Amino acid sequence: MDLLLEGLTGVFQLNVLLILLMGIIAGITIGSLPGLTATMGVALILPVTFGMEPVTGILLLIGVYFGAVYGGSITAILINTPGTPSSAATAIDGYAMSKKGLAHKALTVSTVSSAIGGILSVIVLIFIAPQLATFALKFSAPETFALAVFGISIISSIAGKSMVKGLIAGFIGLLIATIGIDPIGGFPRFTFDNVNLSSGINLIPVMIGLFAASEAFRAMGSIFSTRKLTIVVEKVKLKWIEFKILIGTILRSGAIGTFIGMIPGAGGDIAAFVAYNEAKRFSKNKDGFGKGEMKGVAAPEAANNGVTGGAMIPLLTLGIPGDAVTAVLLGALMVQGIQPGPMLFENNGPIVYTLFVGMLVANLMILIVGLFGIRLFTKILLVPTTVLTPIILVLCVVGAYSLGNNYFDVLVMLISGIAGYFLMRYGFPASPIILGIILGPLMESNFRRALVMSQGSFDIFITRPITVVLLILAVITLFSPLLTRKVKKPTTEGES
Amino acid sequence: MKKFLSAVTLSVLALTIGGCGASSGASSDDASNFPEKSIEIIVPAAAGGGTDATARALANEAEDVFGQSIGVLNKTGGSGSVGMSEGANAKADGYKVTMVFVELTMFKHLGLSPLTYDQFKPIGMINFDPAALTVAADAPYDTLEEFIAYAKDHPGEVSVGNSGTGSIWHIAAASLEKAAGIKVNHVPHEGAAPAVTALVGGHIDAVTVSPAEVKTQLEAGNVKTLAVMADTRSDIIPDVPTFAEAGVEINPTGTWRGLTVPKDTPDDVVAKLEEGFMKAAEDEDFAEFMKTNGLGIELKSSEEFEAYMKQNEQDFGEIIGELGLN
Repeated sequence: MDLLLEGLTGVFQLNVLLILLMGIIAGITIGSLPGLTATMGVALILPVTFGMEPVTGILLLIGVYFGAVYGGSITAILINTPGTPSSAATAIDGYAMSKKGLAHKALTVSTVSSAIGGILSVIVLIFIAPQLATFALKFSAPETFALAVFGISIISSIAGKSMVKGLIAGFIGLLIATIGIDPIGGFPRFTFDNVNLSSGINLIPVMIGLFAASEAFRAMGSIFSTRKLTIVVEKVKLKWIEFKILIGTILRSGAIGTFIGMIPGAGGDIAAFVAYNEAKRFSKNKDGFGKGEMKGVAAPEAANNGVTGGAMIPLLTLGIPGDAVTAVLLGALMVQGIQPGPMLFENNGPIVYTLFVGMLVANLMILIVGLFGIRLFTKILLVPTTVLTPIILVLCVVGAYSLGNNYFDVLVMLISGIAGYFLMRYGFPASPIILGIILGPLMESNFRRALVMSQGSFDIFITRPITVVLLILAVITLFSPLLTRKVKKPTTEGES
Repeated sequence: MKKFLSAVTLSVLALTIGGCGASSGASSDDASNFPEKSIEIIVPAAAGGGTDATARALANEAEDVFGQSIGVLNKTGGSGSVGMSEGANAKADGYKVTMVFVELTMFKHLGLSPLTYDQFKPIGMINFDPAALTVAADAPYDTLEEFIAYAKDHPGEVSVGNSGTGSIWHIAAASLEKAAGIKVNHVPHEGAAPAVTALVGGHIDAVTVSPAEVKTQLEAGNVKTLAVMADTRSDIIPDVPTFAEAGVEINPTGTWRGLTVPKDTPDDVVAKLEEGFMKAAEDEDFAEFMKTNGLGIELKSSEEFEAYMKQNEQDFGEIIGELGLN
């Protein structure tokens, strides 16, 4: 407790708070722009922190990281353009809410859920990090494979109106994921001697194309139509009673995010989809999902911000970075003379607790900045389509290019955009494709790595408890929507 | 919205300016005034990694030496071959420098890209980090000799993690097999950090990654490093013997990074670049930065670097062939 108090005094200094706020605002901006990821934001701001005090410097980076994870949801909700892969799941119901004129409410839900999810994960980090870290280490190739299979099974619940079309979309994603050097054998697949294809198709340009560019192409089609399609932004506030309905979803999703965040190799994108799926599973109004259900916004947002605290668990307690952002943070900590690992709490106790308090404050700042910013953010929707559409397309190109300064990514984005336009037109959902691209490589490489480790024996998948539990969950998830659909069919047929 | 618009405007502006800068540079044939404008370093890796960090820190120091600004451009894709190809095909005036790394000498053998080291003219090598054999702290062997004896008793059973099939750490493990006459089970991971995590979690028996990549776990007492694949001991873990000291003759194997320019760059320009960048690399601030980031400094002149890359390409060709990856 003393250390927490010490942390409080460390954070509540004007310069520290200001730097943290700057980090959050920079992060939100970076996160909301497609193509600029949290990792890139943190890496680019890293050199600035070298000259700073350790705590201030690290908190600036944490601000950018947390802000970017939240920021992705703003554009996902308003213009169906997830700023980062973590917000791909948010776009499903968030954009549907915007189309109904509920953008204001959707942003409120996402802001509140992000902050609560983030705070929950930091509390877990503060109190039970070492115990959880030991558990996270148990995750090896077979466990991660099972988690990926579980993730894939979610396709059945984000399939949209037609299960068959959802599954086809999922398989398209998995097929795209096979492009590139095979992760275990090193054999080039579908690369056609093009070096750009050798490391596979990058997820982010595909995501920008499928979500944002295709939407822009669609908008172009109706730009000159006399029928005016203006979205009304009603200032519908989130009511207390609605919040009470959401809180269960938010807490559950935050916990899912924290759990997935601490597993090396799995991050915000997967967590958001898993939380979305669980929210749907627990909901009585399953048919509302995909059509603008508040829980469909709350779940992924609470989960992807929950990942932030979760990812810090193995980083701080074991010195193990679970993803690219935490790898950059590890470097930042070491430059400041802070060595993460089991000795961290003994050697740098006061600094660690100051960071903990700073993380809590960062999440509160997201809440405040987010809630104040909503009025500003929703102004995007007042921009006429004739102006907004070209801007979005420019953003798509700039975003895809800025990823790796590689024109090939722009090409991938444009092709995905055109493909996405036709897929959308014929009722194929985009999110299963994204899920397939995210999880395909994770599933394949871990499956094969597990077999390398077991020297070819499949026993490795049935003799490890975590693996078995996750695989059973996957089977249940895959078949439960099919079964409920069968049962409910007579009632739902009328509306679709 | 304003923020949005201004961000868009800024990005467009940046692109335009970048585009103009690339196309409008008038070059002078006289090298005595070199450099007359800003230099760009192409980094064929993403922002945030070791290659990027090395390039940015070096650029920072070299700006003072050259009296010109030095920009760093991350150009990713194809395990680095996309950025390197662009560097090799850039205008040969010395204003576009490419940071190359060990994979350059492996692309051809792995069938990844026809790009080879001789499409460049080297400026110099900056960094080298050797492979180090690291095992779990509670493993039944404490020395390289005991490890080899154990591996001989359990052929094909000892699992050695690397950072990906055909990666330099995979090659390192294969060189170890060859030098020690053992057979191990290679387990590829997506990078060195996941491999180290798997070692700490007890899922594999050893890793052959750089000392910097295991340093945290070494200090935490979770792992022990048995030997380093270099001619000299590592500054990061001075207590650990080299392979030769531990009784196994092996070619020094590890990752390196250096600077190059297109093949047709005039020799006097290369000489100026070599002088300037070497001076920058000898700066104390740079040394300090590399040390805190666990990156080793090893300088090689243009000539030495060329010979070194040639040797690497030969050695790797043999090993990659034996692994059946070509």
